[in-house]
Amino acid sequence: MSIRPKLDGATVEVIRHYLNSTAEQMRRTLVRTAFNPVIYEVLDFGISVYDRKRRLISESSGILSFLGANDFAIHKGVEKVGIENLHPGDVVIINVPYWSGAHAADAMMFTPVFGEGSDLPDAYLAVRAHWMDLGAKDPGYVLDSTSVHQEGLILPAVKLIKRGVVDPQIMAILRYNSRMPETIIGDFNAQISAMRVGERRLRQIWEKFGLAEVDAAIDMIIEHGAETAREAVRAMPDGQWSAHDWLDDDGVSHDLIRMAVTVTIEGDRFTVDYGDSDPGVPGPVNIPFGSTLSQAKNVFKSLTTPETPANHGHYQPLEVICPPGNLFHAVYPAATYTLWSTMVSFELINKALAQGMDHIAASSGSDEPGFMAVGTHPDTGEMYSVSNNEGIGWGATPDHDGSNALQHLSTTAVRNTSMEVLEHKSPIFHERLELRRDSGGAGRWRGGLGVCREVKWLAVGELLSMKKKTKTKPWALHGGHEPETTNTMIVWPDTDRAHRARMERFTMQPGEGFRNFSAGGGGWGDPLDRPVELVRQDVMDEYVSVEQAEKVYGVKVEADGTATATGARQSHQPL
Amino acid sequence: MTERKHRLAVDIGGTFVDAIAYDEQSGKITVRKAPTTPAAPADGVITATRATNASLEETSVYTHGTTLGLNAILERKGAVTGIITNAGFRDIFEIARGDLPSGSKYDFQYRRPELLVKRRHTVGVPGRIDHRGKVITELDHQAVIEAGRQLSERGVESVAVCFLHSYANTEHEEAAKSILTKAFPDLTVSVSIDLVKEYHEYERTSTAVADAYIRPILGRYLTDLEDRLREGGFDGSFLIMRSAGGAMTSEIARLSPLLTVFSGPAGGIAGTISLGGNTGRSSLISFDVGGTSLDACVIVDGTPTEVYEAEIEALPIRIPVFDIRTIGAGGGSIAWMDKGLLRVGPRSAGAVPGPICYGRGNTEPTVTDAALCLGYLAADEFLGGEMSLDGEAAVRGVTKKLAEPLGMSAERAAASVFDVLLARTVGAIREITVERGLDPREFSLVAFGGAGPMLAPLLAREMEMPEVVVPAAPAVFSAWGMLMSDLEYDVGQTVLTMLDDAALAEMEGVLARLESEADQVLATQSVPAEKRVFLRRLDLRYNGQEHTLSVDLEEADDQQSVAAKFHDQHRERYGHELNEEIQILTARVRAIGLLDKPSGHLDADLDSGLDGSESRVGERYAFDFATRERRLFPLYERRLLQPEVEIEGPAIIREPTCVTIVHSDQSAVPDHLGNLVVR
Repeated sequence: MSIRPKLDGATVEVIRHYLNSTAEQMRRTLVRTAFNPVIYEVLDFGISVYDRKRRLISESSGILSFLGANDFAIHKGVEKVGIENLHPGDVVIINVPYWSGAHAADAMMFTPVFGEGSDLPDAYLAVRAHWMDLGAKDPGYVLDSTSVHQEGLILPAVKLIKRGVVDPQIMAILRYNSRMPETIIGDFNAQISAMRVGERRLRQIWEKFGLAEVDAAIDMIIEHGAETAREAVRAMPDGQWSAHDWLDDDGVSHDLIRMAVTVTIEGDRFTVDYGDSDPGVPGPVNIPFGSTLSQAKNVFKSLTTPETPANHGHYQPLEVICPPGNLFHAVYPAATYTLWSTMVSFELINKALAQGMDHIAASSGSDEPGFMAVGTHPDTGEMYSVSNNEGIGWGATPDHDGSNALQHLSTTAVRNTSMEVLEHKSPIFHERLELRRDSGGAGRWRGGLGVCREVKWLAVGELLSMKKKTKTKPWALHGGHEPETTNTMIVWPDTDRAHRARMERFTMQPGEGFRNFSAGGGGWGDPLDRPVELVRQDVMDEYVSVEQAEKVYGVKVEADGTATATGARQSHQPL
Repeated sequence: MTERKHRLAVDIGGTFVDAIAYDEQSGKITVRKAPTTPAAPADGVITATRATNASLEETSVYTHGTTLGLNAILERKGAVTGIITNAGFRDIFEIARGDLPSGSKYDFQYRRPELLVKRRHTVGVPGRIDHRGKVITELDHQAVIEAGRQLSERGVESVAVCFLHSYANTEHEEAAKSILTKAFPDLTVSVSIDLVKEYHEYERTSTAVADAYIRPILGRYLTDLEDRLREGGFDGSFLIMRSAGGAMTSEIARLSPLLTVFSGPAGGIAGTISLGGNTGRSSLISFDVGGTSLDACVIVDGTPTEVYEAEIEALPIRIPVFDIRTIGAGGGSIAWMDKGLLRVGPRSAGAVPGPICYGRGNTEPTVTDAALCLGYLAADEFLGGEMSLDGEAAVRGVTKKLAEPLGMSAERAAASVFDVLLARTVGAIREITVERGLDPREFSLVAFGGAGPMLAPLLAREMEMPEVVVPAAPAVFSAWGMLMSDLEYDVGQTVLTMLDDAALAEMEGVLARLESEADQVLATQSVPAEKRVFLRRLDLRYNGQEHTLSVDLEEADDQQSVAAKFHDQHRERYGHELNEEIQILTARVRAIGLLDKPSGHLDADLDSGLDGSESRVGERYAFDFATRERRLFPLYERRLLQPEVEIEGPAIIREPTCVTIVHSDQSAVPDHLGNLVVR
């Protein structure tokens, strides 16, 4: 294809670098100035830069799902405020889940940027970060709400800053509705600093190249992104495939919830339809459409243009469908606080495509198996709230084993929280953190290993389990095995109260604790086809037990490290 | 007694070993290069050393920068390494932080690089300390011996020891070290707390692992090299360059091998600082462009920003390093068309096959080929004429691969390659300056490396920086920086307390102890007492915040003055200050052992093979970025330039290993110290 340039391809590339650096400079500023470890340690944020038509021109993560949700929220935000009411220096905050594509705590702020002499914004900068507390019904996360009105203060696209001046009344409302006012004000300042850096940079780019030239370049950058993505879709086989998976329950009742998708590829169109999923439920697992859109975009990006910084064009071939009222299209007043049910549905598109394409990997755990601890610290008398996103075994691929203990596919820029940091900030104590032997699904290529973490409380406090997929297992491909063990958290282990947690919260007394097991990845191909030497190495490294090696892989490994194939292998016809 | 008049510095790079010899009596410097010899690195070093013709017997100080440790990690050629940690936590190293490198965030089939330690070589032993340093479970000494035995039997040569919360109480790590050293004299042992005194167990472990991984090989290498130098009659100080600038004796380097891993780029920054000191410039940005990468570092008030979080391919290493921004773009970077857009990098043609003009089979145009098209390089001048370039092939490649698809002339396409490279560079420099509240327009750009002086005048114009300084012998400037380095030693301790006068009084004790520890180290490096200088610093942050700023502590400081310094620095860097309490995270001491330095005039004997006193040696057509057109550029031989005589642009100023391009709205003046200043 040939783009008919108004600008040459070199000038466009120069402008593209300047725009990408703008988002990067915003990210660096936010990380360095944030107050909240969920921002600076876990990197729970997303930064996006939009042109005047609210088309994405550059971004920096954080959390992948935040980025896609920003694209949805910027449209809603401008629509609600009214474009004619936006002025230089304004900052708008939006956290209505159905508009912002996230739960109330993940509020997005945006600022319009005006070129010289413009009456309307020429660009927008958006920063979404996790707000530590906006007065939801419970401290930390809310796991059992049944209405949006239990999930925190709602900010329906209001101006926190008007023409550069912070509104003291709205700030007072924020401050008095939060259990952690210092932290949220500190983070607020950090996000404003990031936006101001971005604003200065955009102005410089316009000054240097001219507003009209930058517009022309943006058109070309977006068209280039679109063509790259279309080409990738055209290279995929045409067809229609469906897949489904199960969410444990909605946190209020105990029924499994069906999540389903149909993917249709036709030429350069890629359509994802979630309509066959269960309808919305009373508990907080409902997913706002902006969030549904975001997860589909992330998976689509990974399949088509994984190596390029994203822009609006990269999503052109993608269409996402879901009727209002469905689990994947929450409507007022549906509870959405634990919308990370998208982590369970994240791999559905891949699961569907695996039926028609052979370079898809097996499932990578399909859940966020982390935890949160909240309470009042006995040493300081102040409230603490810490969290950890646990590592998961990733799915085996057509040409290598799944990686051990990585973050969920949808949060690959996020890090787990250091145990030393957790123990500093909260009265918890670790007794174990190890890889979980035999947790990887067996196969020609083995699924990655999950982990086991044991923690006990030193002072009374609350534990929140984040789990949403403990009743069913991650899927495997091409004769590979599902992991033999599931994703579970046992609260009060080794006592007669031992309890298998779902998504729920517990009050912990001193000396009480949990044992958390995260899932391994699915296997790829028949384990009897795995080379004997690889099985032997796995046993030496205790990724696989001697028993599993013999039983599942057909390899007997002796104490001296020698390995031989068993009868099961000899009768097996290799592919 | 032999008169010791020479100082030597030798720096190993990817393709060449650079040697620089300074004669303290005549002020003359001699620069030589020899090919890098990866199989036996000391051979190339000795060859380059001999080539300078400086007598080893007459050499007082021999400073060496080595990338051996870095390469061992990158190429997985280090020692068989094991980990001893707390029981129940053997996988801290493998579990790591779970994140993907930022370029891979959409790679849902990501494959982790091979681990430096196999899981079978990790052992947990009973013993546990809590976050306040309180012993919860005593260390099981017998289990440590058993772990050492098990690892030795499995062929482990080197062990990293890291226990949870060891920064708060070093007892268990120290005990394990002494048990292992005594019971297994053949094992080398690296203990996390000797390297990092801060929290974050994974990063402490990975630092200890990297240390353990390179310790045996670096020790062998340094011993071998030192023996050969001594055999050659060398009787002076044998110093090794550190990653955060400054040098250390080879004894310290053997004890702290990790401090050598980023010593290559550190040499260039040390050189930049010394150039600033000699010429009265305090705000500088170093700009080092080689074949495959470009390094930039900001220096304010003569001091580069340091960070304690370096990485080697996603492996965090918590040692002090200069905050250097590296982008994967240099002379060898490939320019290519991506559906109508012109991209430069990240792929590089490397040294082999190299750019098209090397004539070794590459057909993809590189930045160096573009430079030929623009007239900046000439086919018969490369490396002082030692290597001839195929200019026609370069033009053909640029025409076919870039100019035709872009619908422009080869020259315009080549200029566009520079434009794109420049845009990436501007982004990188902005990320390290403006975000900290610094304005690049107040900085001098110090350009070195093979391609730095060619690109820097363009970058300076783009960012409105007032001047570019090209030091003498820019292609070996890193070695020059090593020659100019003092002995340095850093030590620190996590304290975690609120800043008030009582805490400062308490810091006095902590700092005094750190100082006496550092003093001991300088004493063992034979630094006379009057040459020892100590700098005290506190790493501070607003209560609740993670990132710290480092504040220099002076004798008269009290709570108020320290707080004021911190607020100022925070405002400068982040645009605001906060009404929050300030917390002291770490107390640090930097000990400096001052060495006598070469001073004053440098007379570079660069062996250019040319003679005659007229500095203007010709002219040729080249592309002028000021007017964006082809013009006739006079050609000057740098070593023949007269100090303080201005050369009007456009001009090409050549020297054996690089060229400085002065565009038509710029001019160049050599100063009395051998630097070329482009404004």
